[in-house]
Amino acid sequence: MRKPTNFELWFVGAAAVLLLVILPGLNLTPPGTLLHVSDFTINLYGKYLCYGIVAISVDLLWGYTGLLSLGQCLFFALGGYMMGMYLMRMIGDLGQYHQPIPDFLVFLGWSKLPAFWQPFSSFAFAMLMVIVLPALVAMGFGFLAFRSRIKGVYFSILTQALTYAGCLLFFRNDMLMGGNNGFTDFKFMCGYDLRQPAVQRGLYICTVLLLLGTYGVCKWLTNSKFGKVQCAIRDSENRVLFSGYATAHFKLFVFVLAAIIAGLAGALYVPQVGIINPSEMATDKSLEAIVWVSVGGRGTLIGPVIGAFAVNAMKSWATRAYPDLWLIFLGSTFILVTLFMPRGIVGLPAQLGGLKKRWLNRKPVDVDPAVTPKEAELAKPNPK
Amino acid sequence: MNKYLYSFAGLAAGLSLATSAMADDTVKVGILHSLSGTMAISETSLRDVLLYAFDEINTAGGVKVGDKSYKIEPVVVDGASNWPLFAEKAKQLLEEDKVAVTFGCWTSVSRKSVLPVFEKDNGLLFYPVQYEGEELSKNIFYTAEAVNQQATPAVDYLLAQGKKKFYLIGTDYVYPQTTDLILYKYLLLHGVPIENIGGGLRKDADGKVISAGKYVPFGHTDFQQIVAEIKQFAASGDACVINTINGDSNVPFFKEIVAAGLTPDDCPVVSFSLAEDELRSMPTKDLVGELGCWTYFMSLTTPENTSFLKSWYDWLGTETHPGVIKEKRVVDSPMVLSYDGVYLWKQAVEKAGSFDVDKVRAVLESGDISFAGPGGKITIQPNHHATKNVYIGETKANGQFKIVKTFDQVYGEPFMLKDLDAKLAKQ
Amino acid sequence: MKPLLKFFVIPAGWLLLALAAVAAEAPSGDTPAIRQQLVQTILSSGADQQKLLGGLSETGSKLVGEVLLSWSRGGVYLYPASDGSQVPVLLEDSQDATGKARAIRISDGQFLKDNAGKELRFGDSELTTADTDMRLRSTIRQTLDTLDLSSPDMDTRWSAVTKLGNSQKPMYVPILQARLAKESDATVKRAIQEGVASLQLNDHDPAAQITAIKQLQALNSIGNLQTLQKLAADQKSDPQVAKAARQAVDSIQSHIWWVNFFGTLFRGLSLGSILLVVALGLAITFGLMGVINMAHGEMIAIGAYTSYVVQNLFGTGFAFSINLPFSILGKQLGFGLSLPGLNATGWFYQSYFLFVLPMSFLTAALAGLVLERAVIQFLYRRPLESLLATWGVSLVMQQLFRMVFGANNVQVNSPTWLLGHCSLNDISFGYNRLFVIGFAILIVLGTWLLLTKTPLGLLIRAVMQNRSMASCMGVRTTRVNMMTFAFGSGLAGLAGAFLSQIGNVGPSLGQSYIVDSFMTVVVGGMGSIIGTVYSALGIGISDQVLQQLLGSPVLGKIIVLTCIIFFLQWKPGGLFPVRGRSLD
Repeated sequence: MRKPTNFELWFVGAAAVLLLVILPGLNLTPPGTLLHVSDFTINLYGKYLCYGIVAISVDLLWGYTGLLSLGQCLFFALGGYMMGMYLMRMIGDLGQYHQPIPDFLVFLGWSKLPAFWQPFSSFAFAMLMVIVLPALVAMGFGFLAFRSRIKGVYFSILTQALTYAGCLLFFRNDMLMGGNNGFTDFKFMCGYDLRQPAVQRGLYICTVLLLLGTYGVCKWLTNSKFGKVQCAIRDSENRVLFSGYATAHFKLFVFVLAAIIAGLAGALYVPQVGIINPSEMATDKSLEAIVWVSVGGRGTLIGPVIGAFAVNAMKSWATRAYPDLWLIFLGSTFILVTLFMPRGIVGLPAQLGGLKKRWLNRKPVDVDPAVTPKEAELAKPNPK
Repeated sequence: MNKYLYSFAGLAAGLSLATSAMADDTVKVGILHSLSGTMAISETSLRDVLLYAFDEINTAGGVKVGDKSYKIEPVVVDGASNWPLFAEKAKQLLEEDKVAVTFGCWTSVSRKSVLPVFEKDNGLLFYPVQYEGEELSKNIFYTAEAVNQQATPAVDYLLAQGKKKFYLIGTDYVYPQTTDLILYKYLLLHGVPIENIGGGLRKDADGKVISAGKYVPFGHTDFQQIVAEIKQFAASGDACVINTINGDSNVPFFKEIVAAGLTPDDCPVVSFSLAEDELRSMPTKDLVGELGCWTYFMSLTTPENTSFLKSWYDWLGTETHPGVIKEKRVVDSPMVLSYDGVYLWKQAVEKAGSFDVDKVRAVLESGDISFAGPGGKITIQPNHHATKNVYIGETKANGQFKIVKTFDQVYGEPFMLKDLDAKLAKQ
Repeated sequence: MKPLLKFFVIPAGWLLLALAAVAAEAPSGDTPAIRQQLVQTILSSGADQQKLLGGLSETGSKLVGEVLLSWSRGGVYLYPASDGSQVPVLLEDSQDATGKARAIRISDGQFLKDNAGKELRFGDSELTTADTDMRLRSTIRQTLDTLDLSSPDMDTRWSAVTKLGNSQKPMYVPILQARLAKESDATVKRAIQEGVASLQLNDHDPAAQITAIKQLQALNSIGNLQTLQKLAADQKSDPQVAKAARQAVDSIQSHIWWVNFFGTLFRGLSLGSILLVVALGLAITFGLMGVINMAHGEMIAIGAYTSYVVQNLFGTGFAFSINLPFSILGKQLGFGLSLPGLNATGWFYQSYFLFVLPMSFLTAALAGLVLERAVIQFLYRRPLESLLATWGVSLVMQQLFRMVFGANNVQVNSPTWLLGHCSLNDISFGYNRLFVIGFAILIVLGTWLLLTKTPLGLLIRAVMQNRSMASCMGVRTTRVNMMTFAFGSGLAGLAGAFLSQIGNVGPSLGQSYIVDSFMTVVVGGMGSIIGTVYSALGIGISDQVLQQLLGSPVLGKIIVLTCIIFFLQWKPGGLFPVRGRSLD
């Protein structure tokens, strides 16, 4: 909705250079030198950036279309699982049991590969599924939900139910997807040894590229006429509907697109962290993604990425520095951001400026142009 | 004014203490447990006992390598019951902090999650919690109970007590699934007819049993249906329940058992995930006589245990580590196995004369490293598991166990399935 | 507070005295010979012990029952006398402040005294227990059972009969038949018949076997189903016997089907009631007020922890202390609290739960009040964002619970009147389950009355329908918001108090119910209390039915969730959508 300002362009450009050129470059310097960036850091940043991509997808839904989905992590995990299946096949017979099928199938008593596992030996097929499966699930669910005009809080709760059901399903060992343990102990990907720092660096660069690509596509989309309709739906769906737009189709498209983006992020996340299991689908993961967007600033495209980075960096630091108190830090941050920084980190300069001007007239908490009063009405019960 | 003077003096003393500690050589040791999230319930106690063990070693002069002695500097990180975070934290410990050894993990999935990291960076992990076996990593030492040090001795005991029907119930994840599958085969091998094994069987297309028992998801709270089924199962007498439910769900399960009037005299429940620490949150008065099987019970009266308990409580009274709860503390098997692990590692390091992982591992694998721990003698075997005593206990009203049977020095055998299959095929 | 406290403490003190008197005097009526026999039994071992136990069962003495029962529960202790012999003693129920109690000698029923004639007191860990193992306990059990056959209490007789019937030992047949002649109670009679028939199944005479089978069929004996199945399948058994057994098996199986059917309905009803109790608070805060209160689960946890604290206050007291990882001038920061307990016992202790209910309502309501003032009042115009802020609150509260109460679950003992169950035609009804159904009815009724029949309810409804209009009409909306939110939170606290009786009480207790609660409210229709009632019962019953049909608790739950998703396609506003004329 907002035109890219010069500042935003500069920021994105600088971040791209930093992430894509400088950090990997510094990673190549010998360890121990002053500016050396360790493999660990590169790996960690790769993880954060994957979260950043998910955050963009959440923002596309929430910040631009007004759909608060609590199910983005389902698509993220589905993408991750598809990639995980490929990676499990690539372990070959190097597992604990030295059998040609994944270890968890051995202990579940299987002696040969179940049929639906067969095609995942192919990287191309797995990548296809990374896109197709989240898209299909999103299309099925979105079609039903948008057709019957489910919105607002109902939509949030329903997506939560969907995610919860998915989570329970994947927890079942009978599902043959590794149960609670999920997939782990990956060794190779496309013939490269995942344990090599160079391969991890490559994955990191892929993640940066995907992030930039996602940013570009979303920027283009939200600046186009489509983006205008999107925002109009967010602000008042009924008026758009009465103007002759099939809002359900628009929403479905955005929902599926967001699912695909999340799925791709999941596929890159799994080889970098080395594990995928159903707890990635737990309801609080989706909530966390929304918090990233809210902390960074919704309705913008750089905000979510900044938010994902900031919150996760804080989490990594606090779980080590104050293991007993970090949940309190984290929780308090969410409360304070929601109450006092409705436009997030990105909106902070503008908010401070506005605050100075309107100091005498208004309370800071009422500054919230990103939410219209109409949207606020959505979740309220209708008068009898 | 005087007050201020004192506090300054105190501050100065504190500073000088700190500097003198710095003057000694230190070695970093990692503690990797969940201090928040769902698993914090069990894992925080392990952090506490590890801190205690380190303090005890440091007071006694530290770890002696060659002619130098090193103080242990714990690096505590929180895995937050989040498995990818466990992998991240493991990486951090090994690559950033360069710890000499790590003590940690509780759930199988957390161990599976950090295993590739430890193998890649050639780290050393001591794992203290009873587990399903079927794993052997060169970078992990399992002081934990293997299936044949917990589940099968318990079944032996129940068979000897004349039990004829066994109902299997557990949480749906790898430990209960594997343990129950092993027990299913073990029971068949000991002549228990298939209809006397309750909970249900699942078979693959060829009719081979791939999973036995009833499974509930994590955090399940509604056991009405299952307990009703157990009641019908036990109506004909001589039945018992083998419980591998993990964590929180045990409380609603046992409350339902008590409410349904199933008493330990008719149908005892033997639980593999309930130790003294977990019993603190259970209605123990109604559970008198239910069974547990571990390699340590707090009620052991050996001199090692008595002195261990005394110094543990002394430590609790004086320590100042943040977040350590002091009220109503108990000790249980995972805690003692954590503690044993620290001393086994210390011995191995001192014998190897180095903190180098390869050298320490070689010493540990020699099979000569043993420690007279609170639960009896524990010896590391060449296969990275540990030989130790196994005890069967009955719960008492005060949340302790009364030891009813001891199996001395049981060899830890991680791979049981294949062996049982072979024996069954012979029958 | 002071006089109130006194009022509680004095009757408790009397009660203690009364109990002590009973313990010391009641047994003195029994003959010394029986006491000697008891002592002998406890001190002997192996086969002798088993034989002596058998002898005890013939005494029919009440004392024997009491001593054997506490022996099997580890309540008989051995006191090493000065001459080296072991003296079996019981410890008195009532303990003094240090947890010690007087010891009663089994040999004469007198208190143990030292040489100076002073009564000795012991803690339960200071004396060694007289050991029992599972086998010995089962013999004790049998002894008690035969003793219990002549007990005046119907339940005791019934369970004694059932145990003997299941023992597979034909030697009990004459004992049971003798009892049958004297028995007046129908239930016990039925149990005796079943027991006798079950024992006679092992008879060698086919005619006797068939009679027994017919008998078992008529009694629908579930416990003997497996034996009958074996008889039916056994090639060696008499064809007549096998045929009768087959018929009996069919009949019993259909009986089991009906038992499961009605049992499932009851269990569904009780699960539905739990869902209802848990979701009702949310129906107020979320349904009526529109606040997406993710901290609802923690309000439930507050209620549950309150019952823990109240229980401890009735017992030995409650204390906690926290060290923070910060220090000022070398002094570590921290805080703590210590409350003394009432040291209550007996019925007074058992009644703690009655105090829990109002207390947990008040604590949770207070917490809700603080939450509303501190956070929620700023978010009425931004409901979707209330989700984020309240989630933050939920994280903070979970960690606070961990710091105050420890990461472990805490132990909440159910009062005895909530334990146990009654059976009707093989369907068992747990008292706690019956309680929750009644409890749910009561609080729904209460909520309904409050919302529709009181001035406050009128104001609440007015404000929730149109905040600004109500404000224009002179309603103090901030106050009504505050009260409503506090009320909703209080209901959550009540739910917690109840959940502490059937489940665990721990920091993440709330998390296990949050998704279910939201689902219940949404399915019922936001803003509709009656909708919440129907949806809770519907979800509860379908969950239990599916669990019964599929045999897997997880699959049932997944299917219920999927059904809910489809249901909302059909009725997007829930079961009872609140209709309005405005288009949002």
